[in-house]
Amino acid sequence: MIALSVAGVLAIFLLYTSLAGGGTPSVSPSELATKTGEVALAGRVVGTPTGDAHGAGLRFVLTDIHKPGHRVTVLYKGSVPDMFRPGRDLVVTGTKRADGVFVSKPGTMITKCPSKYQAADTSS
Amino acid sequence: MAELGRAALILTFGLSVYALVVGGYAAWRGRRRLAQSARNALIASFFSTLVAALVLVVGFVRNDFSLAYVAGHSSRALPTPYKLSAFWGGQEGSLLLWLLVLNGYAAAAVWLARKRARDLVVWVTPVLGGIAVGFAWLLVVVSSPFDVIPAPADGSGLNPSLQNPYMVVHPVALYLGYVGLAVPFAFAMGALLSGRTDERWIVATRRWTIVAWTALGIGQLLGAHWAYVEVGWGGYYAWDPVENAALMPWLAATAFLHSVMIQEKRGMLRVWNVTLVSLAFCLSLFGTFLTRSGVVTSIHSFTKSSIGPWFLGFIVVAVVFAVGMIWLRLPQLRTTAKLESLVSREAAFLYNNLLLVALCLTILWGTAWPMVSEAVRGETMVVGRPYFDFFLRIFGLPLLLLMGIGPLIAWRRASLRGLTRTFAWPAAVALATGVGLIALGAGSSTPGLVAYTFSAFVLATIVHEFARGTAARRALTGEPVPTALGRLIGRNRRRYGGYVVHASIVLLAIGIAGSSAYDSVTEGRLARGQSLDVGGYSLTYRSLGEREGANATEVRALLDVRRGGKDLGTVKAGKNAYSVEQQVSNEVGIRTDYLTGEDLFVIAEQVNDDGTVFFRVFVKPLVNLIWLAGLVFLLGSVITLWPDAREERRLATRYASARERSDTPATT
Repeated sequence: MIALSVAGVLAIFLLYTSLAGGGTPSVSPSELATKTGEVALAGRVVGTPTGDAHGAGLRFVLTDIHKPGHRVTVLYKGSVPDMFRPGRDLVVTGTKRADGVFVSKPGTMITKCPSKYQAADTSS
Repeated sequence: MAELGRAALILTFGLSVYALVVGGYAAWRGRRRLAQSARNALIASFFSTLVAALVLVVGFVRNDFSLAYVAGHSSRALPTPYKLSAFWGGQEGSLLLWLLVLNGYAAAAVWLARKRARDLVVWVTPVLGGIAVGFAWLLVVVSSPFDVIPAPADGSGLNPSLQNPYMVVHPVALYLGYVGLAVPFAFAMGALLSGRTDERWIVATRRWTIVAWTALGIGQLLGAHWAYVEVGWGGYYAWDPVENAALMPWLAATAFLHSVMIQEKRGMLRVWNVTLVSLAFCLSLFGTFLTRSGVVTSIHSFTKSSIGPWFLGFIVVAVVFAVGMIWLRLPQLRTTAKLESLVSREAAFLYNNLLLVALCLTILWGTAWPMVSEAVRGETMVVGRPYFDFFLRIFGLPLLLLMGIGPLIAWRRASLRGLTRTFAWPAAVALATGVGLIALGAGSSTPGLVAYTFSAFVLATIVHEFARGTAARRALTGEPVPTALGRLIGRNRRRYGGYVVHASIVLLAIGIAGSSAYDSVTEGRLARGQSLDVGGYSLTYRSLGEREGANATEVRALLDVRRGGKDLGTVKAGKNAYSVEQQVSNEVGIRTDYLTGEDLFVIAEQVNDDGTVFFRVFVKPLVNLIWLAGLVFLLGSVITLWPDAREERRLATRYASARERSDTPATT
């Protein structure tokens, strides 16, 4: 009986993951070149953001968190978290356009809270 | 001062090692005096940790910036309450708080159980000592809060997001919860080590488990309320790894609290219970690891962090030890009692456990998946909100239903007639509620409708139980209703306190369903005088004001609120720009309707130079029931925890008989 219930739970789990897939790949700006389709892009904001997130879109540049150099321009619309500003690490979900600009889905920006992930912050 | 703090920590480390090594030897060879000395060392280590903690507190209060930790997390201008909370504003202080709470729990638990469960305490001491050794090692060698630097003129200040009353209370409550789970774990391991696998370890730790579990629950709700009011994105839980870190051990502990009742009453599920308590404790270690090691950001930052690998090693040791002990004692843990029917209270508890553990493990999988996929496939994969929401529904809704069934169904084997008699009334209430809600238009969300129908069912069973018990007492004693109700609860604190906790979970479910399945949201750019309609409300943007606060420029937009032609006053939403920290924070406007528990939640997303403002407005029905649930939850826990003289006597007799049995040398 217990084995049956456990099997049932496992079946639900496997069914879900096989239908919905294993999630979205999370990549850094330098890895983006080889990716097509929807990805979560994680990087650090550099330079000055321009534009209007609630109008034509906010434009900013992301670079790798640990080895700056490779830069990707991001076009973003929707809510901008408080923590957003140059120097902060964040994640946006979207796809790369043919011209290399990363167009994010509206409202997907998540900033990494520096206080809670302090250990990572100080060591990098 | 730094030397004193460091010395106190080294002493703590030494005492913990003594409790582990000497305590272990004494328990193994049956040396009573030596075991007592190990126990005393464990208690003394609490006081030496306390000294270390006080040194750090004094460092903060006196602005002693020669301490690197104080300089990094405080400043002269920081208000005194936040100087105290800056104690746990960083890694080293958090670890010290962990150790302090652990040693506090350990000292209290072994001291209070020293007479009643002496033969258990002998084995519990080295286990608790072992856990303390791990943390004391981190504090002494790897990540010391007493590192000294040439004192700068002023400290670099505390992160503004931590300068907040919630961040004074929330971490302490969470730590009381996380660490408290070490007590039942240590007693379970002690019981396995001693080879006495009866349910005495459960009885001895029931209160400790409930205290830890309550603190963990309240800590999470405080965190959720903080996110809702202060972070201001319009929600209260985002399935963030740091949030899941606290939810997982809470779920495992909830399963444990339920399944131990089956062992107490029927002697079943022994293996399962030691497994669950080990799971809960290891998850609380894992939770601390998640929040403290930086592994969430990426495996790469984890390997660079100073405590990450140590912590991982620590978790591996705990898991291997627990699994090894359970494996070793498997023959003694086997029980003769078998499940007699799939429709019985035992079975209902078993389903409850399976669902709780399934929910817990799927959350664990979703939380760990980015790390697992990065390690295995070299590509980080993330699962988002849909994954977690799906499993919350698929496992959470049946759990809600079981909460109504489990406490009422008969032990061993339920008869059809008994079932009809017990559940006819609540089922009718649930059905009527469901039909009524569809008529009102709640059919727009199936999970929401199911949640409400189940909630009505559970509430009906709870009300029914209270009414039935009170009526029975009245028939017997002729007391007036309030007296009868009071005495009913007083005489059966565990049972009726449990019902109150169940009621709080129902409130929580109603609040979550209401605010997530039936919320409405609208956004738009408004010029002065323009309006926006959302969920029956009409908001008109009136004016924009700016003023200089103590440490921030505060911009506020003022809106008139109307509903159905009735003026409901105004609501303010805006942004604060902190000058020193160069940070902007959303200051949301919330208008609460206390009668319906509904919130109007206004975010001024973007304030433009031309005076227009981009607003995002939510209407969240019943969301305030979530916070009310916290109070009811606390009330229920306090009822079950309240000392009960009759229960004490009953247990004393049971202990005495258990000791007689175990004194005859047969087990080892």
